[in-house]
Amino acid sequence: MDRFTRILAGLLGHCAGLLPAARRDWAEAVLAEAGEIPSGVARVAWLGGGLWLVTRGVLMRVMRVLAFAAGAAGVVWAGWPGSSSNSAVPLNRVYVVVSVVALAVLPAVVRRYYGLVRSGWGPLAARVGGYAMVLALIAAKAVKDRLGSKLGAYFAIVPGQWVLQIVLLLLIVGYVAGLLILTSQRRVQLARWTLPIVTGLGAVTGGVLYALEPFGATADPSSPSLQWWWLGVALPLVTGFLAARLSARDTRPAALGPVQQGALAASCALAAAALLLAALTSVTIALLPQHVPAQAPAANNGACQTCDPVRTVIPPGLRHEYQAEITIGQAGTLPMVSLLIAPFLGAWLGVLGGGLARRSFGASRRAAGGPDAISPPPPGHLMASDADREQVIGTLTAAFAQGRLTKEELDLRAGQAFAARTCAELAALTAGLPAGLTRTQPVRQPARAQPRQPADKAVAWCAWGLITPALFMAGNALIPGPTPANNEPAGKIISLIVVVYFITWLVIGAQMLGTWHQQRSRPGGGRHLAEPIPPAAGE
Amino acid sequence: MARRSGFSAQTLSVLASLEPDPATWRHGYLLARETGLRSGTLYPILIRLAERGLVEACWEDGQPAGRPRRHLYRLSSEGLAAARAALAAQAPLKHPRSAAAGRAGRRRMAGEGA
Repeated sequence: MDRFTRILAGLLGHCAGLLPAARRDWAEAVLAEAGEIPSGVARVAWLGGGLWLVTRGVLMRVMRVLAFAAGAAGVVWAGWPGSSSNSAVPLNRVYVVVSVVALAVLPAVVRRYYGLVRSGWGPLAARVGGYAMVLALIAAKAVKDRLGSKLGAYFAIVPGQWVLQIVLLLLIVGYVAGLLILTSQRRVQLARWTLPIVTGLGAVTGGVLYALEPFGATADPSSPSLQWWWLGVALPLVTGFLAARLSARDTRPAALGPVQQGALAASCALAAAALLLAALTSVTIALLPQHVPAQAPAANNGACQTCDPVRTVIPPGLRHEYQAEITIGQAGTLPMVSLLIAPFLGAWLGVLGGGLARRSFGASRRAAGGPDAISPPPPGHLMASDADREQVIGTLTAAFAQGRLTKEELDLRAGQAFAARTCAELAALTAGLPAGLTRTQPVRQPARAQPRQPADKAVAWCAWGLITPALFMAGNALIPGPTPANNEPAGKIISLIVVVYFITWLVIGAQMLGTWHQQRSRPGGGRHLAEPIPPAAGE
Repeated sequence: MARRSGFSAQTLSVLASLEPDPATWRHGYLLARETGLRSGTLYPILIRLAERGLVEACWEDGQPAGRPRRHLYRLSSEGLAAARAALAAQAPLKHPRSAAAGRAGRRRMAGEGA
């Protein structure tokens, strides 16, 4: 038995080294404790439990590495090959290499700053699903682009397209980084159910848009999913509103303010919708290229749309093939473009949704544990709310932790706090305890304490931003013709106004960000630092 | 009831044995004896609680004579509040039974040790 115990202990010591550094301590703890356990069955069972712990950790790690390796191999297999005459091949190879390297390295980078993945199946499933989606998107995009530019000579890649493609690639890497950060332990603090709810709503929206047009929306205004464009506006507004609403119940000190939660949640929702839509559309086009509906007008007289249409003529024998390729190449462009704008559009409209929620539900947020419910102390004859009781229990717990109350006193008073009917009864329970105890309920700055909060400014700025698309649409509606903004003098004036307005708006926003940054870097300037605690009720 | 507080029955028993004296550091074997949980169950629970910031963990200071250094645990202030809330929600129904289970577990471990 002794020998068996020694073997087990040696095995545990060796295997602990295979765990990530953050988990190694735990295996070593089991090993250290084993010496204190009476030798025999109990010690073997103890060591066996430790070994199980390590095995599970290592297996999970190995499985994750293997799954990623399989996915990466799939992407390389789908995206790397192609003849040198195919104009999409160089870009595909850049995509494959950068994405595989970034996806492999990013978890380690994120782990360093944000900790390991959060425990539970939700964050892990989100990571696995997100990785699968991004790998599928890269592979399908490569296949689609290759199918769409076999006649490489007629598909010149202009430098502008390279820039756009690189920006898109960086943005996809940014999506992955965001996914990893949001599922890490030290993630940005959103209310508990916000992320699953808003990404779920986003996924449903993406799924609906995909079902409407599996091959991606065309630029044709009668295209069915373009009729549903308002979903892209409604989703961030609704999720921003919802997240700000959920944030009212979240009283942890590190939690973001309601407008910030709204912006982040809406950005996530729209990003999830765009990623799902782009991945599903690209995969569909890559798998069923022959079914892609024709989107470009037929190549009359062999005019080359992707090269110089005046000088280059498609030979008659290649015209059908050229037409098919240009159809595939142009399909799924709008979902890709939606990837570019979704996070930003989401954040912008999410601020508006969050601001709306703050405006209409500000009162109830204060009642649900906000500081206005605490100071000034509620009149004694008022009936106590659950928030009042929780606050008193928080004060009592803190007093106990500091040794001001004994366990019995705490239990007694906590029991009385649960049973208390009026605020006067509650006040009596904390009488004699000093003001300034660390309450477990954090205090947010009162919404009206400052004349104008950064969040209000942000909401106002985002609202003013609505003028740009409004002006643009008004200009398009007022001036007839296929490309009014470019040809008519009135159109030119309107587009000039739109551009000037947009730039002014951006500059004001940048200035606002600069001011916040200065305030934040000043000590005590941050909004979410622990606030001084108001005197306990009754003092 | 166990779902309402978001903790499983085993996690609650760990919280219950950490909660009475929150300032003291305890080691794993002590917790195992108190809760009657095996190491393969106890440690994943402790890891989860530590990763959620509810439990603080550290190595014992200095080298004690005759045994290796212990890895020690106690509730953080957030953990204390969460434990109290969960146990209070549990109290009316579960406490007598889980206390009995805890005692039985302790007896079993003591019996194994003898």
